[in-house]
Amino acid sequence: MNKQQFLNSLDESLQKLSSDERQDILQDFKEHFANGIAEGKSEEHISASLGSPNHIAKELLASHLLEKAERTETTGNIVRAMWAVIGLGFFNVVIVLGPFIAIAALVVAGWASSIAFILSPLLVFINVMLNPDTFILFDMFFSMMLCGLGLFIAIGMFYMTKGFIRGFVRYLRFNTKMVKGGLKHV
Amino acid sequence: MNVQFKKGVLELCVLVLLDKQDRYGYELVQKISEQIAISEGSVYPLLRRLTKEEYFTTYLQESSEGPSRKYYKLTDKGRMYLRELTREWKEFSNGVNQLIKEGVSDE
Repeated sequence: MNKQQFLNSLDESLQKLSSDERQDILQDFKEHFANGIAEGKSEEHISASLGSPNHIAKELLASHLLEKAERTETTGNIVRAMWAVIGLGFFNVVIVLGPFIAIAALVVAGWASSIAFILSPLLVFINVMLNPDTFILFDMFFSMMLCGLGLFIAIGMFYMTKGFIRGFVRYLRFNTKMVKGGLKHV
Repeated sequence: MNVQFKKGVLELCVLVLLDKQDRYGYELVQKISEQIAISEGSVYPLLRRLTKEEYFTTYLQESSEGPSRKYYKLTDKGRMYLRELTREWKEFSNGVNQLIKEGVSDE
């Protein structure tokens, strides 16, 4: 691959980045080529030592998406960052997807139970409407207690979800530092 | 060498090289690849990330041989991070060396 092919391929893989950032990255590599050529190396030799532009782009994209996920913690951003990090290595399918599924399951379960608890008086109410003769006070008070409990769980879940999201983004960041760095031999 | 391992170490290498003097990207890459087999391109994403994390600042300087070069300069924050990583590395490598010594002498 010569210089132009390398740069084109890198540019193409970085389409998702803003053109400013892309120019900046390409400038770094142009500089690298210029320095190598000044030392008498061939373009082909330099690009072979640099490694695959595709892989370099993947690393750049993963850290870009992570940053975005950190700035605005929307579910979409986090999922996009997660896929980018997973893309850095097959190894990550287990290491990243596993904890993510576990955490997501926990969060969903927590919210589901809190919503069920909060709505339980409504269920008692519906039950009374349908079968008025089965009403006992115990049901009513018990469901009111559950409702209160559900509100507490909801508040707890609110903070926990936030904490989990932040923790997970940090974990992704840590992961990109560790996984598939400057590898030459896979 | 193990792949995961290398990535963390690459960070330390770059920081160490910038401790005494500012350097430009190509120079950093050459210095490292003289010692360790790396795919050179992955140094640049690393440099960008560490710059965004405010461990480095950059400036451009003209060179006599070609286009102007982007120099990387370690910040105070970066220097603190370097100290921390160096300490961790020493603890780690001492531990491994100890195990190797014990392992070899047992056999």
